[in-house]
Amino acid sequence: MASNLSRRGFLRGTAAVAAGSAIAGGTLAAGSMVAWGADEGTAAGEVRQAPSLCNGCSSKCGLVGTTVDGKLWTLEGAKNHPYSKGTICGRGHGVAQMAYNDERLTQPLRRKEDGTFEPISWDEANREIAEKVAAIIAEGGPEALALIHDPRPSGKYYGPRFLNALGSPNVYTHGAACNASKESGITYTTGASNFSVDFANAKMVVFIGRSYGDAIRPSSVQSLANAADAAKRIVVVDPRLSNSAIFATDWVPIKPGTDIALLLALANVLVTDNLYDHDFVENHSVGFDEFAAEIAPCTPEWAEGVCEVPADTIRELAEALAKAAPAAAIEPSWRAAFGCSYANSFDTARAVCAVNALLGSWGQKGGALITSSPKAGDLDKTRFPSVPKPEVKRVGDAEYPLALSGMGSNLAALQAALDGKMRGFFFYNSNAAQGYANPKVWREGLGRADLVVTIDVQMSETALLSHYVLPECTYIERMELPEFIGGKKHYVGMRTPIIERVHPETRSCDEIFCGLAEACGVGQYFDFTLEELAAAQLESVGTSLEEVREAGVVELADPGFEYKVPKFKTESGKFEFANAKVGEAGLNPVIGYVPRMVEAAGDELYLVGGKQGIHSHTMTQNIASMNAISREYNLERLWMAASDAQARGIADGDLVEVASSEATGQVRVRVTERLRPGVLFLPTHYGTTSPYQTRACGFGINLMDFVPFRMEPGTGAAMSQEVAVTVRKVEE
Amino acid sequence: MVWGPMIAWYLFLAGASAGAFLTSAFVERKYPDSVKMRVAGRLIAPVFLAIGLVMLMLDAEAGLHNPLRFIYLVMNPGSVMTLGVYFICVFMPVTLAVALLEILRRPVPGWLTWVGVVAAFAVAAYTGFLLGVVQAFPLWNNAILPVLFVVSALSAGLAATSLVGLVLDRERFEQMWLIKKTHVILSAIELVVLFTMLVIVSSGSPEGAASVASLVSGQYAPAFWGGLVLLGLVAPFLIEGYPVFITKKVETGTTSLVVSIIGESGVLVGGFLLRLLVIMAALPVVFL
Amino acid sequence: MTRYGMLINTKKCVGCYACRMACQMNNHLEATESFISYEERETGAFPHVYAEVVPVQCMHCEDAPCQSVCPTHATYTTDSGVVLVDEGKCIGCKYCMAACPYGVRIQIESTGVIEKCRFCWDGQDAGNPPKCVNTCISGARVFGDLDDPESDISREIARTNAQPLSGNLTKAKIFYVR
Repeated sequence: MASNLSRRGFLRGTAAVAAGSAIAGGTLAAGSMVAWGADEGTAAGEVRQAPSLCNGCSSKCGLVGTTVDGKLWTLEGAKNHPYSKGTICGRGHGVAQMAYNDERLTQPLRRKEDGTFEPISWDEANREIAEKVAAIIAEGGPEALALIHDPRPSGKYYGPRFLNALGSPNVYTHGAACNASKESGITYTTGASNFSVDFANAKMVVFIGRSYGDAIRPSSVQSLANAADAAKRIVVVDPRLSNSAIFATDWVPIKPGTDIALLLALANVLVTDNLYDHDFVENHSVGFDEFAAEIAPCTPEWAEGVCEVPADTIRELAEALAKAAPAAAIEPSWRAAFGCSYANSFDTARAVCAVNALLGSWGQKGGALITSSPKAGDLDKTRFPSVPKPEVKRVGDAEYPLALSGMGSNLAALQAALDGKMRGFFFYNSNAAQGYANPKVWREGLGRADLVVTIDVQMSETALLSHYVLPECTYIERMELPEFIGGKKHYVGMRTPIIERVHPETRSCDEIFCGLAEACGVGQYFDFTLEELAAAQLESVGTSLEEVREAGVVELADPGFEYKVPKFKTESGKFEFANAKVGEAGLNPVIGYVPRMVEAAGDELYLVGGKQGIHSHTMTQNIASMNAISREYNLERLWMAASDAQARGIADGDLVEVASSEATGQVRVRVTERLRPGVLFLPTHYGTTSPYQTRACGFGINLMDFVPFRMEPGTGAAMSQEVAVTVRKVEE
Repeated sequence: MVWGPMIAWYLFLAGASAGAFLTSAFVERKYPDSVKMRVAGRLIAPVFLAIGLVMLMLDAEAGLHNPLRFIYLVMNPGSVMTLGVYFICVFMPVTLAVALLEILRRPVPGWLTWVGVVAAFAVAAYTGFLLGVVQAFPLWNNAILPVLFVVSALSAGLAATSLVGLVLDRERFEQMWLIKKTHVILSAIELVVLFTMLVIVSSGSPEGAASVASLVSGQYAPAFWGGLVLLGLVAPFLIEGYPVFITKKVETGTTSLVVSIIGESGVLVGGFLLRLLVIMAALPVVFL
Repeated sequence: MTRYGMLINTKKCVGCYACRMACQMNNHLEATESFISYEERETGAFPHVYAEVVPVQCMHCEDAPCQSVCPTHATYTTDSGVVLVDEGKCIGCKYCMAACPYGVRIQIESTGVIEKCRFCWDGQDAGNPPKCVNTCISGARVFGDLDDPESDISREIARTNAQPLSGNLTKAKIFYVR
């Protein structure tokens, strides 16, 4: 998609500057304008454009990168991508700049005895890794190997394929530290791992903890902004007044980790006052009677005692939802309050689904929609041979049977490492050791492993714990496999290189896994190029590599979405208020109350985390432009309610010491009225400890340092907010 | 803060330069025998101004990299800075010419001195108006600041010239009652003008009040009270005022020499601190 | 006549910094340099709090104090009402920075020139729309011709009764919905 048109546009602009400067009577412009347009200062830089998919978060928004003389100039959202809709958020712009980061990984590294790293060749790295893999398999079987990744289009294919080819089923996503509980909860009620709210037609939407304005997907923010414009009722249940609250009509500052009580009380009112959708319940659900009995005690008055939201507020919300039903829904959320946060996150997600069921909003206009996703069809087995299914079960699946097959519990893998059973780890696009659970536990677990390989673009904390660090090129330097996007309509998008590789020794995901596979003796499953595979996948869905390469995003055949009660892909084929498998996992089969595990005692405060619009987990803090924003606006600060601060003699900007059973740390405080007293909010992007990231290192503190290593029953999720801390002012 | 010590130096040196020139003109007229002081004033004027202009140019980085751009400084007569450039364009050559004539021991024509006097007042006043027209900063944007700067400029120029007199021509200097009285009165006036300004600024806007608070009780309080008020105004007032208005006798002792030197130096320190503090302490009005 | 202006709806701004980042890239600014700054405000007390983020950038004032104080005429206004800096004339005296009531002028580290938002001026016209508008994820920004009553911005200003930050102090051409 090298665009001659835009090149002409640029030339016209440059020429016009020269002319304009003559008018202005100055010496300006030609030179300086070009300097703004292209660093090299050549008059007519070559302007090219190429499409890609953002790497700032899991949304993977479509975008178009513009380069001048091969150097990235600007990014724009792809107009035809359903998530970006022509825009991209701040982190989208920033993440692309990783390509030019001066502290990137540029060559394969091997850790020495003293903990420092030395550069080695790819051949050396692959050979040594293969030797260690062989030794681990010989000793402990392939099930002693694990892959933990935060999947990206190519990674989703190549990573698991590599591990399965080695005979190991142990493929884990970051899910257990992200949205695992929520997706499991939704799955065990509806059969689908997620759903969406039909904002355009909804009359009332309740958010539980999630903030579109902080964990941004542009289309979601636009939907919310439009809903606010149309004066819809938007309720935000969150201990913190998030950046989405400008769109909200109601803020319900709930006690953290008790959303389930609020949800069950909503259900209680809907059932008790006979406000629920009888047709849906009778014809499309199972287990209602047990559920009704289970929540009979969960009155608004009871809930008030648990979640500290006034009973009247709960009752009013329930009545308003019933009135708006079926064009009303509880929003499904993502990580936020019940993605992996508490001991009750799985059941909180189920309770969300239950309320939507009582409202009869499943599949209805303005309600909760379960839509379909496209996927690549069957490919030619001779060209793309299937990898035999590993014979053993994935480590952790027995203990945490509710973890989704596509995710698994990476923390169970960590536990296996602590137990000495998991001997080899591959990490791809994953800084598990900093963000997935308490870093000291990761250090201990990975310290016991015989082989840790990390594939990343920068020296993350996980990379620091690795024996081998393999440098990937950044996403704007590589092509990837197609990404399929579901919803009311279906799309496919793809990454194409926007710029040439900045560092020649870096490799793309597919190249890295192919190289490893070859060295490990399973190269026969990787005997095709990325382009061949991409072309085959795209042809299987009725488009072509050329078309997608050119357009970036292509709409696929209309899946024929209709508003109607969906066919639930549960065992019963219906919505499940009760599920036997959940019972087999040792949990209450019926959706019901589960308390949070940790209660604040004495002068302890609850510590909750969350995203900021400009950052993506721990991976963006060392990007200069993003770090600059955090520093300029003191974004690393710990939020504390004004009344809590006053009681402790803490003023805005004061340095405090935060302490839990696991750690103490010092950070400055942002005193705010936007937080429920008794709760602290810590953005989850800070506290980098990798000295290879000089801008980020030592800036702020890391929430996970304070959280004990525990797993949610059933799902094996991180329970990342089951923590209470003390805070005291540090005299300076 | 937009500007810093460099600009404070410039404002101070330009003001002191004007003050020194005015002092020399005054000395020439009233004390024709005090040659050394007259010469001192006439030499200090171009030297201070030149140093100040260097400071100004060092601070103007884009111009420093492209010196030809300074030519554009005359483009906008609507800008106080351009007006200042005009004044300096007159004042600088005049001070240079006067200094040169003085060095060559040639008489300085009266008209040239008069042109210099007018330009000196203009330069001293412009350093105040330069800040005074900036509406965004209440500490600057008031009618009193230019007056304060003119008074301070006269005082500083007088002090710089007097220092030379004190050291090189003490006998005559101690007889120059008019100079000494002027000096004392200027200190008093400056003190009154300064506090009047602070009161007015403080009551005018929250940002003004915050600016004043940072001076009198905030982060700049030590420099304000110790440096500007005590060393720069009160001490010189007492040191000069005591012999001039109370004992009324000519001092000749070494102690009094040292004390006087401290007093005059204090005026110079105070003059610089005044500009530095006015620049640093000014908070912008927040338009939100 | 064309008279470019912008509307910023703080009731839609989530403070994601996308505008700053897009602007920074387009204008090749350093990481710490920005033409857009943000004022975060919270009013009221828990639980009755209102929080807003107010993005601030050059208002392209019709009575631009920066332009009137600029001694070299480096700052000038185009026929279409965009206030620009002629870098070839700027000496970096910072008088404009002091004079700007909105504090949105910055010194470019590499050149010493004082710069600011230029509505993504491409040499002969304002960017249409400027990058900050283009990337805004929530549609909080609208750009266009204030003199055209049919333009999106004119309609949106009329619909929302958007006002400049400081009333008519400088006849600013960025209108805010608060």
